[in-house]
Amino acid sequence: MATEIKLPRLGQGMESGTIVKWLKSEGDPVEKGEPLYELDTDKVTQEVEADASGVLLKIAVAEGEVPVGRTIAVIGEQGESVEVADDAQEEGSPARAREEERERGRDASTSRDASEQVTQIQEPQSGNGRIKASPLARRIARERGIDLREVAGTGPEGRVVAEDVERAAATGLPSAPVLAAAPAPTAVPQEVEVEQLSSMRKTIARRLTEAWQAPVFQLGITVDMGRALEVRKRLVELNADGAKPTVSDLLTKVSAMALMRHRAVNALYKGDAIELHPSANIGIAVAIPNGLVVPVIQGCERKTIAEIAAARAELVDRARGGRLQQGDLDGGTFTISNLGMFGIERFIAVLNPPQAAILAVGSTEEKPVAVDGQVVVRPRMELTLTCDHRAIDGATGAQFLGDVKAFLEEPGLAL
Amino acid sequence: MPELSYREAVRDALSRAMRDDDDVFIMGEDIAEMGGSMGVTQGMVDEFGPERVRNTPISEMALAGAAIGAAMQGMRPVAEIMYEDFLTLATEQIVNQAAKHRYMSGGQLSVPVTFRTQGGAGWSPGAQHAQQLEAWFVHIPGLKVVFASTPSDVRGLLWSAIYDDNPVVFFEHRTLYGLKEEVPDELEPIPLGQARVHREGEDVTVIATGRLVHEALSAAQEAESDGVSVEVVDPRTLQPLDEEALINSVKKTNRCVVAHEAVTRMGFGAEVASVIQYGAFDWLDAPIERVGAKFAPLPFAPVMEEFVVPHANDVLDAIRRTVGRNGN
Repeated sequence: MATEIKLPRLGQGMESGTIVKWLKSEGDPVEKGEPLYELDTDKVTQEVEADASGVLLKIAVAEGEVPVGRTIAVIGEQGESVEVADDAQEEGSPARAREEERERGRDASTSRDASEQVTQIQEPQSGNGRIKASPLARRIARERGIDLREVAGTGPEGRVVAEDVERAAATGLPSAPVLAAAPAPTAVPQEVEVEQLSSMRKTIARRLTEAWQAPVFQLGITVDMGRALEVRKRLVELNADGAKPTVSDLLTKVSAMALMRHRAVNALYKGDAIELHPSANIGIAVAIPNGLVVPVIQGCERKTIAEIAAARAELVDRARGGRLQQGDLDGGTFTISNLGMFGIERFIAVLNPPQAAILAVGSTEEKPVAVDGQVVVRPRMELTLTCDHRAIDGATGAQFLGDVKAFLEEPGLAL
Repeated sequence: MPELSYREAVRDALSRAMRDDDDVFIMGEDIAEMGGSMGVTQGMVDEFGPERVRNTPISEMALAGAAIGAAMQGMRPVAEIMYEDFLTLATEQIVNQAAKHRYMSGGQLSVPVTFRTQGGAGWSPGAQHAQQLEAWFVHIPGLKVVFASTPSDVRGLLWSAIYDDNPVVFFEHRTLYGLKEEVPDELEPIPLGQARVHREGEDVTVIATGRLVHEALSAAQEAESDGVSVEVVDPRTLQPLDEEALINSVKKTNRCVVAHEAVTRMGFGAEVASVIQYGAFDWLDAPIERVGAKFAPLPFAPVMEEFVVPHANDVLDAIRRTVGRNGN
């Protein structure tokens, strides 16, 4: 009995994935648990293991974007005949039977092999280049300037329906190609480069557009970093063997301690409810060459700064190498975004939904400040907290941010 | 408000028109003492006498012709054709005479006749007593066609049919005669050419006639438990057709199912589907689905008859196809 391999849902909110390449060829023997193909989801690229043993009889989708649940391959016995059905419709459903009937009528004289059939089902475009789309989907696409060729159809036979176009519109799928970054100043003007959005960029666009809908407010505070820098220096000396703790690690730890005292900030806004989480799972925004990821350090309130540093170093390393697992990205309750290393003194971060707050961290700069009536030079750092006002009120955010400042200025208070 | 059955509602409209207007009279086979084979005209001969409640010979052609003649002379006759299957025998009179005289006389003549008839499956009357032939008459310029599905509709529409100056073929459904509904004390005429929205919905419009209105309503209720919101619209008058109401509904829901008991092929639903695709083309998000009887003569055997004609579950399947998705 052949097993259909379907595109798995690797995390909440995953609707589709892009098959990068197959690690096995048709006809290869496959053991259950062996890496079978590489999958690019909106968050990570990872190897997916075979969930059956046997022979890889058929690769139905060689590469490209596929919705979750679609059959992408078949594993079975050597010599077994394979038919890849369009699994998404119930077998024997009237619509399915009718489609088959039409198909037979249309191509009575030509027989198709399975791969052709699959191609036809996967792609809304039929052989003659015509895109299968409902009249309503076409009208919406026309009105919003969306190229239907860029839209994955989820209707019967892969037809693009209105909902697909609406979704594409919401994720900011471009009608016109995206312009590449400006060419280097030394280069003579060149042709416009066209970069199709990767699934990661689409996700960034979709999630940040969504985040932009939230009614947010910002709170700013300036922290004297004198004591924190001393503590950090001492920690580096004590952790000569492990990952070197950074100011960010220290900030992660004190934020976790402050979140535990202000649980309303350690919250997810879920439309009809606010979830207050018992543990501070802090996401660290990491810039990577083709985008941005936010791996999560779980349970920061229970970890030492050295443990946080080790976890952070591991995650950042994996993120830059494109080796993050889905689990590395799930479960965040709060996010810290630090652009201090680029010399940015202050900025406003965009919410990371459904999280209720995100902390933007600026650079630590020597600044003249008045202390006890005297102007002295102190290391100062600006923090800006963005709060979802649907979940957090001003005073709550202010008390939290005040504690973060207090813990950085007097680390003993966090104990 | 009194509760009337569909049968009583028809009788009520006939009786009120006859009380109000001496020009109105009824004729048909066994409609007097026997009260009609479906009991619709029961008791009317006692009130109005045999001059105005006229039994006719068993000849549909003769009775249709006599009614047309009386209409051309200024009367408003209502002729009962016992089964719509027997309209075949009166077709020459209805199609070639009643539908044409106003046109061919340059408007000098009018033919304000109403042909009441009934049909439909659901009680094993067999292949010659259960057909739904309304589509034939919608095809004829010069005729108006009504198909009522509830007691209040049948009463208000029959009144308007009687007082329309054109010939009207008025279809009733056999299995609806017992259906009861509260109706106002005063008879409110329902203009011909006005659809009725039985239920509002967001996702799919079911355009249904006759018995299928009720099947569509129960399918809609079932669909709602799946989270699919269904609008049910009954055109009530097939000619003239309230195209605007149907198109507007589909523009709102973006999906359409057309349902009737008649055979699907060349049925009235084909015309509706055409009207919708033309009027709401850019609003359609799925192919228009059609529900109707299979292309077969109606069997006597109850289980076979049930197989051939459509029911609520067929409407529900069609609703589900229109909202169907491949992706999940």
